[in-house]
Amino acid sequence: MSADGRGPATGGRAAGRSDEALWWALFSAGGVMAALFVPAFVIVTGFLLPAGDPAVAAERTAQFAAAVGWWPVKLALLGVLALSLVHCGHRIRHTMMDLGMRRYSGLLKVPCYGGALAGTIWAAMLLWVI
Amino acid sequence: MDAKDTMTLEIFRYHPETDSEPRFQPYEVPYNEDWVVLDAINWIKDHVDGSLTHRWSCRMGVCGSCGMMVNGEPKLTCAAFLKDYYPFGIKVEPLVNFAVERDLVVDMDGFMDKLQEVKPYIIRDDVNDTSEGEYRQSPAQLAQYKQYSMCINCMLCYAACPVAGHEDEFLGPAALALGHRYNKDSRDQGQAERLDVMLAGEAIWGCTFVGECTVVCPKHVDPAGAIQQAKAMAAQEFFKGFVMPKGTGA
Repeated sequence: MSADGRGPATGGRAAGRSDEALWWALFSAGGVMAALFVPAFVIVTGFLLPAGDPAVAAERTAQFAAAVGWWPVKLALLGVLALSLVHCGHRIRHTMMDLGMRRYSGLLKVPCYGGALAGTIWAAMLLWVI
Repeated sequence: MDAKDTMTLEIFRYHPETDSEPRFQPYEVPYNEDWVVLDAINWIKDHVDGSLTHRWSCRMGVCGSCGMMVNGEPKLTCAAFLKDYYPFGIKVEPLVNFAVERDLVVDMDGFMDKLQEVKPYIIRDDVNDTSEGEYRQSPAQLAQYKQYSMCINCMLCYAACPVAGHEDEFLGPAALALGHRYNKDSRDQGQAERLDVMLAGEAIWGCTFVGECTVVCPKHVDPAGAIQQAKAMAAQEFFKGFVMPKGTGA
């Protein structure tokens, strides 16, 4: 994009601020959630709860399930899950763009963020019935 | 050190008016512990092949002219010592992600355009009369942007950035860091104007935080950090837009 004339080139960019700030903010928040809480959940639910004597583990798991049944915990979990899913969707979208689908960046929002939304609804439904 | 020691530099050659395609030409240069790659290239130009074309000026990491790919890495050749590669050969190429004009010289026009696009100067709504004195700034206010003002426009960050190579809309590390430098300057009032440019299309959002720009920066500017801060600033502005619609500057 070399400019022979005076004014700087625009690089063929659409005028006006992009809505990417919204997706980036959700991606950024999701990154914090995914980095801080998801590994902790995996360790707690995957390793610590079922560890040791099966009878004690079952009791421990029941206590944990009861805590998850409390609605503020459900809400917090839903927040962590929703933001982590958006984070994942955004990263997939940008990876697809890097792999040559840049011109479909708008279209890619549908499966990527739509998938995150679907996952969030599913998570909400699961949390609802706990 | 043996005075007769030599090293081989394989140099990218391309004269578009005569060559159908680029080639690598090997040159034997005297090995001198104090020499940098630029010294060796200058020696070739002076003693072996006057047609070799490259940019250089200060020889002390200030002018930012002598950036090239040294064994595949973007480097200031005035700061890349032969002794760090000896006894193996060195391959010298023009900075990647730029069109080659001739040999080691790349086309900087696109880069210069991008620098201009971010309006890299202080913008004021109200300009004080000089009789009122200078715009005062505290050391803390200076610290907000000083690091980002150290850029020497050497373009190593563009050669290191995978996005700069394939996304023309992306302003690139140096230009974004420069825009951020003025946005963080307490004397400046042009943030809204600048963000209109920085937040359009893929101008900043093309960045996928690879971070190589910061790794190769010879002046420790940390463009990746500047871009992340600018994105966070953009996100704040985005949500502020709902609370205070269309509030520009004032």
